[in-house]
Amino acid sequence: MILYLLKRLAVLAASIAAAGVAVFAFMALLPGDPAEVALGVNATPEAVAALRTQFGTDRPAAAQFLDWFGGLAGGDFGVSYVTSSPVGPQIGDRLGVTAVLVLGGMAVALLIAVPLGTFAAVHHRNPLGAAISAASQAGIAVPAFLAGILLVYVFAVKAQALPSGGYVPLADDPAEWLRGLVLPWLSLGLVQGAVLTRYVRSAVLDVMREDYLRTARAKGRGALGALWRHGLRNASVPVVTVLGLQLATLLVGAVVVERVFVIPGLGDLLLNGVAARDLLLVQGVVMVLVAAVLLINFVVDVTYHLLDPRLR
Amino acid sequence: MLSVDGLDVHAGPVRLVRDVSFGIGPGERVGLIGESGSGKSLTALSLMGLLPEGVTASGRATLDGDDLVGVPERRLKRLRGREVSMVFQEPMTALNPLMRVGAQVAEVMTLHGRPRAEARERAVHLLGRVRLPRPEQIARAYPHQLSGGQRQRVMLAIALANEPRLLICDEPTTALDVTVQKQMLELIAEVAPALLFITHDLAVVASVCERVVVMYGGRVVESGPIREVFTNPRHRYTEGLLAASRLTPRGTRLPTIKGSVPAAGGFPDGCVFRNRCPHATEACEQEPALTGDGHAFACWHPAG
Repeated sequence: MILYLLKRLAVLAASIAAAGVAVFAFMALLPGDPAEVALGVNATPEAVAALRTQFGTDRPAAAQFLDWFGGLAGGDFGVSYVTSSPVGPQIGDRLGVTAVLVLGGMAVALLIAVPLGTFAAVHHRNPLGAAISAASQAGIAVPAFLAGILLVYVFAVKAQALPSGGYVPLADDPAEWLRGLVLPWLSLGLVQGAVLTRYVRSAVLDVMREDYLRTARAKGRGALGALWRHGLRNASVPVVTVLGLQLATLLVGAVVVERVFVIPGLGDLLLNGVAARDLLLVQGVVMVLVAAVLLINFVVDVTYHLLDPRLR
Repeated sequence: MLSVDGLDVHAGPVRLVRDVSFGIGPGERVGLIGESGSGKSLTALSLMGLLPEGVTASGRATLDGDDLVGVPERRLKRLRGREVSMVFQEPMTALNPLMRVGAQVAEVMTLHGRPRAEARERAVHLLGRVRLPRPEQIARAYPHQLSGGQRQRVMLAIALANEPRLLICDEPTTALDVTVQKQMLELIAEVAPALLFITHDLAVVASVCERVVVMYGGRVVESGPIREVFTNPRHRYTEGLLAASRLTPRGTRLPTIKGSVPAAGGFPDGCVFRNRCPHATEACEQEPALTGDGHAFACWHPAG
């Protein structure tokens, strides 16, 4: 297990490094010189050259890359060419907000999918089980931002029960923080929950046909007891795979949902960076998103090993 | 001790097992034989209350006065694994792959009220009793680390854990290598309390059981002491089955029973075997009753 973990960590580190090269290369390939952009069309060549030296963009690409990538580990994402302020702290603040948003959305999805999917599997022969299947099918067809807009219409505009957008930091007012997050969480979680319900249902259905569930019943467990004790952990193996993929999707979905609910998260920062042509900021945010996806895959792989002794 | 009386098994309108009756005394080992589709497994599953969804049993079966058929699941649960146990055909998939073997053996004891620590300890003892080498180590293993024969021994340890009154084995050695098969059969014969042994293998029945019940088309066609049934079969189906399993001299055609087993619900009225029986006459359109004391058979034109 320890050896496996070390191996996986090495692979994770290598993938992040490779991703770093890719992200840096893409940004470097974009046309446009930050110094020229900053000084405008009327600048003298001398002034542009001086600013390049100040930014460090006159050095070889490899040196610039090592400088940037080396700083990442310590949270140094460089200093913005546009705002002249360090990029790292901005990303740090926003990352926390997005993480809360995504993890909350995932929690909502799980709270919906696990009980509903299991119920639909156990009752797959009667109308209620079929109805859950059909409803989750319909839920899959709804994009997260549309769900968000509908939720705002119902709960914020009509019922006036929850704020339609905005974000209050947890430290300022925990109650308002929570109220502000309910709708974003729901709009991310409902759709993902619908998708996940189908996976949970089919995983549980598969497990219900396994011989070891019959063995458990032959020992004297009831049908539900056998499913609970022997089925759910077995069913969770395929569900974890989907969960990992969904977390990555949620991260991307969050970019849109942050726009809908005016939440200052990473997605919001990314869009601002693009609008302001703030290259280093965009580069930093993209790097963080890529690293997060790689980290999620790492966690999924390790979880497999914890769940299934056959892989050890 | 076990008494089965007029057991029927239905899947919707189709009657899969019809009017099956037999008994097993304390310590007695009875074989239930028949081809695939003869209803032998369904008969066993209905005694455990483990019939698949949509399949129901009716009639009467009691184990020392406890009803096994037509009682609520709540009451059956208390008997399963304690008074009646079952070993299934497929050892490779019958154990939970994510749970240590020792815990799976202990589970059947804690379920019926034994304290956890004691159950753990006894699990190791049981694994030794089914002659698994180094039982402490096996208890900590996961099923995929064991061979098919070893897993079947684990299943047997689970079945024996609460010292049930009746052990049901459904083709327990069919999936095993021939060499392992023999050891497993000897072990079952040695440790079983009363035994209901289901198989299609006549040689296996002969080596393990004292009495045999022959099923065809969901009914009992013949039953009796094994030596008598095998040396002097009366029902024409039993006769054909024995002829087909006998070694024949080189160059002669293997004797077979003509035709094949009809699909469920496709058996003829009257004698279920008459469409394949070389001796069938008009009389066979009437259903023959299972008659005879000790050695009983249901045939209008018995052999011998």
